[in-house]
Amino acid sequence: MVAVKAQNIVKRFGEVTVLRGVELDIPDGAFAVLVGPSGCGKSTLLRLLAGLEQVSEGKILFGEREVTQLEPRDRDIAMVFQSYALYPHMSVRRNLEFGLRLRKTDAATMNQRVGEVAKMLDIAHLLERLPKDLSGGQRQRVAMGRAIVRRPALFLFDEPLSNLDPALRTQVRVDIRKQHDELGATSVYVTHDQVEAMTLADVLYVLEGGEVQQRGRPIDIYDEPRNCFVAGFLGSPAMNLLRAPLTRAGELWRAGEVAVRDAGHFSKLRPDAEVILGLRPHDLRACAEAEADLHLEVEVVETLGPELTVHGVLRGDAQRQPFIAALPAKLAVQKGERVPLRVERLHLFDAATEQSLR
Amino acid sequence: MTASQRELLESIAAHAVILAAVAFSLYPILWVVSLAFSGSTSLEAQVMPVPTDPTLDNIREVVGSTRTEVDGSQIWLFGRQLLNSIVVSIATAVVGVAIAIPTAYAFARFEFIGKRGGMRLLLATQMFPAVASAVPLFMILETLELLNTRTGLVLCYASTSIPFAVFQLRSAFEAIPTDLEEAAMVDGATRFQAFLRVVLPVARPAIAVTFLFAFMTAYNEFILAATLLNDERAFTLPVVLQRFIGEYDARWDLFAAGAIVVSLPVMLLFYQVQRHMVAGLGAGGVKG
Amino acid sequence: MRAALHRRWAKLAFALAFVLTALGPSLEARAEEPVVLWHAYRGAEEEALEAILAAWGGPVEVLAVPYDAFSTKLESTVPLGEGPDLFIDAHERLGNFRERGIVAPISAELLARSGGAEAYNLGALEAVRFEGEAYGLPLSQKCIALYYNPALVAEPPASLEAIAALGDAPDWPEGVYPLAYEARGAYAHAALLAAFGGALHDPVADDYAFEGEAAERSLDYVLGLIDAGVIPEDADGALVTNLFKAGKAATVFSGPWLAADLEGVEYAVAPLPVVEATGEPMRPLLTVEAIMLSPHGAEKQAARELLAHIAGPAGARIRAETARSLSARTDVPPSDDPLLQAFATQAAQSTPMASTAAMRAVWEPANRAIRKVLRRDLEPKPALEEARRRFDDVRRPPPPPANPAPVVVLLGMLSLLGAGALVHRARKLGGASGTLDALRRSLPAYAYIALGVVAVTVLVILPIFFGAGAALFAGKPHEMYYVGLANFVAILTARGAPLLSTGSFYVVLAVTVLWTVVNVFFHLAIGVALGLVLSRPTMRLRGLYRVLLIVPWAVPSYVTALAWRGMFHRQFGAVTGLIHAINDLFGFSLEPIAWFSRFSTAFTANVATNVWLGFPFMMVVTLGALAAVPKDVLEAAEVDGASRWQRLTQITLPMIAPTMIPAVTLGAIWTFNMFNVVFLVSGGDPDGSTDILVSEAYRWAFTRDAQYGYAAAYAVLIFLLLFATSRITDRFMTGSKEDRA
Repeated sequence: MVAVKAQNIVKRFGEVTVLRGVELDIPDGAFAVLVGPSGCGKSTLLRLLAGLEQVSEGKILFGEREVTQLEPRDRDIAMVFQSYALYPHMSVRRNLEFGLRLRKTDAATMNQRVGEVAKMLDIAHLLERLPKDLSGGQRQRVAMGRAIVRRPALFLFDEPLSNLDPALRTQVRVDIRKQHDELGATSVYVTHDQVEAMTLADVLYVLEGGEVQQRGRPIDIYDEPRNCFVAGFLGSPAMNLLRAPLTRAGELWRAGEVAVRDAGHFSKLRPDAEVILGLRPHDLRACAEAEADLHLEVEVVETLGPELTVHGVLRGDAQRQPFIAALPAKLAVQKGERVPLRVERLHLFDAATEQSLR
Repeated sequence: MTASQRELLESIAAHAVILAAVAFSLYPILWVVSLAFSGSTSLEAQVMPVPTDPTLDNIREVVGSTRTEVDGSQIWLFGRQLLNSIVVSIATAVVGVAIAIPTAYAFARFEFIGKRGGMRLLLATQMFPAVASAVPLFMILETLELLNTRTGLVLCYASTSIPFAVFQLRSAFEAIPTDLEEAAMVDGATRFQAFLRVVLPVARPAIAVTFLFAFMTAYNEFILAATLLNDERAFTLPVVLQRFIGEYDARWDLFAAGAIVVSLPVMLLFYQVQRHMVAGLGAGGVKG
Repeated sequence: MRAALHRRWAKLAFALAFVLTALGPSLEARAEEPVVLWHAYRGAEEEALEAILAAWGGPVEVLAVPYDAFSTKLESTVPLGEGPDLFIDAHERLGNFRERGIVAPISAELLARSGGAEAYNLGALEAVRFEGEAYGLPLSQKCIALYYNPALVAEPPASLEAIAALGDAPDWPEGVYPLAYEARGAYAHAALLAAFGGALHDPVADDYAFEGEAAERSLDYVLGLIDAGVIPEDADGALVTNLFKAGKAATVFSGPWLAADLEGVEYAVAPLPVVEATGEPMRPLLTVEAIMLSPHGAEKQAARELLAHIAGPAGARIRAETARSLSARTDVPPSDDPLLQAFATQAAQSTPMASTAAMRAVWEPANRAIRKVLRRDLEPKPALEEARRRFDDVRRPPPPPANPAPVVVLLGMLSLLGAGALVHRARKLGGASGTLDALRRSLPAYAYIALGVVAVTVLVILPIFFGAGAALFAGKPHEMYYVGLANFVAILTARGAPLLSTGSFYVVLAVTVLWTVVNVFFHLAIGVALGLVLSRPTMRLRGLYRVLLIVPWAVPSYVTALAWRGMFHRQFGAVTGLIHAINDLFGFSLEPIAWFSRFSTAFTANVATNVWLGFPFMMVVTLGALAAVPKDVLEAAEVDGASRWQRLTQITLPMIAPTMIPAVTLGAIWTFNMFNVVFLVSGGDPDGSTDILVSEAYRWAFTRDAQYGYAAAYAVLIFLLLFATSRITDRFMTGSKEDRA
């Protein structure tokens, strides 16, 4: 119910600069995810949005309202913490009511809202318990409930799933998205898990080194990573990144052994430049020897049901860099085999700047 | 030897160690108890602390002390003095803990100029022997016109209980996850509300233990109390105990009886608070 | 819910109201001003005083002060115009009281009203007189005399030798001492000393006199008595009383106070015997108990009247009848009470104690010398020479005044430096945005600490500041003058004595360090061990054990410290009982140990007491720290094949260390300054060798001529030592932490 804008956010802790000029532009009602490896500044950015930290430079706007200097309680936000931060001395009901009480909500409204939320999250039977008597999943739902019950304009999530086991994680992930769609409030979600990032986000921000590396729809970022970092960070298994010389023979560009068939997509190709060739494991197809761009010498095969993750080394790679291909399970690849592979799609990055050559 | 046999042996050894320690810790106290209930003094070197000529006279004499007022009315002096002790100790604990709580919180949570220096200074104050600072403290109390009052006494005790309470509570507050206050602040609380409504309740065990320590400093103290108080009706119990030791002779039996009576309330408090003590002293015990 | 909250507030409000009302009464104004009278009487003497006051009728406010606190209380109230109008104390403290302006002279008119000078025993009145003016009216006279048990000795033996020979009688019962008295104390010894023609103090020169041939012979004589088994060697006042009551001592030397304890016991009193070796009678020291006027009491008509009433003949009679105290009045002759008659005879044969500062400085060296001789650590001659040196040391002339200019300049420079450092700190904290910004961000924190800062500054830091400042001064409490660093120089040069002589700063420091290290080691070892055992997951009765183990903490430490001292008594202590039991059980022949006669054993006794007092704290801290050690780490180590010992030393202990270190630091500081235990258990015995720096400072401040500035210098040195040590260890620890990271 509010658009979030952050302009040129800089945050320093003493001598250390954690965020260096970050811009956010999250439309009203969108689900934005900030993703990045640990230490990239994503949590700090979230805490700045929450008002738990003060920016060193820059501005934060919620809609038309500038909130940069406002206290957390004046920002009309709710936050779900990684640790859930449930008040250990209060029952679940009191936990849910806490924010409402502070706003002097009358008892009837409070009861009604708590009832609704408890029903929505299926925690009605837990209301009189203390947090220590809840399971991890229940605690997570209570933490969600505590945020929802306040009906804030903006939800902030700080890795809310990282303390759950994987099965539960998927389910809660879906629940969170569902609740977002129902409530319609803007959400900002911090995670280091790319699956969460890809599945949840309307708008995805990839952060690294205190800077936004790329902003966009998840699928756009996946398809068109702007640089090596984004390319390597999103996608599972991760993209294979290989250094190779870029050569041109007539109209045919080659990056090492691999033919660049859709060279038209790349606007910045220069012959004889050193490039980084990015190959997503899923963009490789096992093929006949004649069609092959590459040959993978298989070392380990992991079976994941419908597909295989094949680890190995490329033929002719003197450095023997690890290389991964995702192949259909029916191929029954064996260790020691040499699999001819055709590249369906490739990414090229400048070897020096690591920026996409597109 | 099977695992369960070893477990049993270990368990026996553990109990033996603890029982030895319990004997060590109780033995001198049992001597005090036995003396308190003795009607005469034994002239044999005894091993077991058993009263000779058991009697309740000593206890009765200590507890039954009265005083005749100017108007001829009798007051139960011991009761009055017990009340004094309790009131002074509670006041010390309340004042000490109330002052220490916000201070300790700031040291645990805020960044400010003088934080490190302040903590060092506080630790440094513990290094200066009271022998040399007691007289100036009296002079300050005199300036404040509090010298002969129980309020002055409470302030004297607070001077020792505040630094210790700050140390204690700071580590207790540090052990509370900051998430809790942040959650409260996002929920709409001011920093102070978060402190009051979330941090304080969560730190309650530690506060209880700190309170008990402050209570005990005041409750067991007699040098300052004897020096500062000038009215028998304002005396605290340890001063009364000290009265049993005279210039030429000492009534050790009464002294012991008094000591037992004086210690009882503290023991009860200990019993009440001991389950918090571990969590309270060692920090770390607070989890969501 | 809301109701519960209200109840809680109501409870709090009630508690506050309770505290406030209970603290209130001491401030209330009084309509008619009663006369305030302080005394340290107990028992019959207190009753007698009450009866005398009842006969007077006017409003009196009486305060019975613990004897130990009496002088301090007077010193801390009267000079401020507070405290009593009248007080009763022994005459020997008059000199001190006069110096401090605590006592006012008795006007001639007042003396006349109480019967005039001739109504008082001349010696008694002389004792309270200074430069022709009386500073109090004598109430009673106290000295020691000979108590004997008629069942064992029919007639009072005429001489000390006759008493000693009692034990040689064929039908003398087993285990009965012919004589018991506090042989180790200078007070009782003074009587024997007089028979040899010696004295503790020379009244003419106002100087130490416990030296020379007479003194040596008197000590040799006592040694002879001990060797012959005539007297017990370790007797304190309580033991003397108990031996006599139990019929285990045929005669004792003691004062009138003993009679109060002898109800139901058959006894008689006679003057002290003659010493045949010299042919002279023993001559005890005489104490005159007097009622004194404080300067503000002297202004009060009612106080003066009450003084005359209490000192008057009627009062003397009540005291004689009720408390059997020996009157100092000539118009109230001792009644036919044989006790009073015997004491009257003895009082006539006594030496009034001097009340000068020099006399007060005699006690400590004299006591130590006597104990040293009786323990046979030293021959009488060198022991007495040593005592003389000690006396001279305490009475050495105060340092000359110094020019305060250097210290003013130094302080100015220090505060400039401090300000500079503060600005530097602030800059660092503020980064590029500057000091002002950092200050602005510090403001909320300052709101929280404001109250604490004010309280700690006023109650802790200011007193320390002034206390430390006193180290630069010397002289009597109310006329101190600036001496620069003279006190420090004197301490650090051991006042001219060899640097490693007993009682020098360096030796005491070594003892203190040993004391701290040993104590902290045992506190930690026992505390951690018990913590580990108690936190075994399968431990039963944990709660009960925990309570029982922290009991030492709950009992006031001065009580338990005294209990420990009792347990270490050589003849009657429980430890000796234990030794006997072991001997009986195993057929050993272990000798009971005289714990306080050797440094090693006295130190051990102190350590045992302090370890006992201190281990519960460490145990509880350990339990808390252990609760925070995650189980999975230990399990991981177990899976990794770590033995139990390895898990303890490599996982558990390093993991609890960070939590323990602050507690250990505080514990070490407290132990370093743990004055109670040393004072109450060994009392510095033997010969001050177990004293630590703090108890040494205490002695200078309170017992050795009240050299407050000197004691303050000790305190400052203690502080500097601890501070430097903590900074060094701090640096060392942060350094090693960085290495790990």
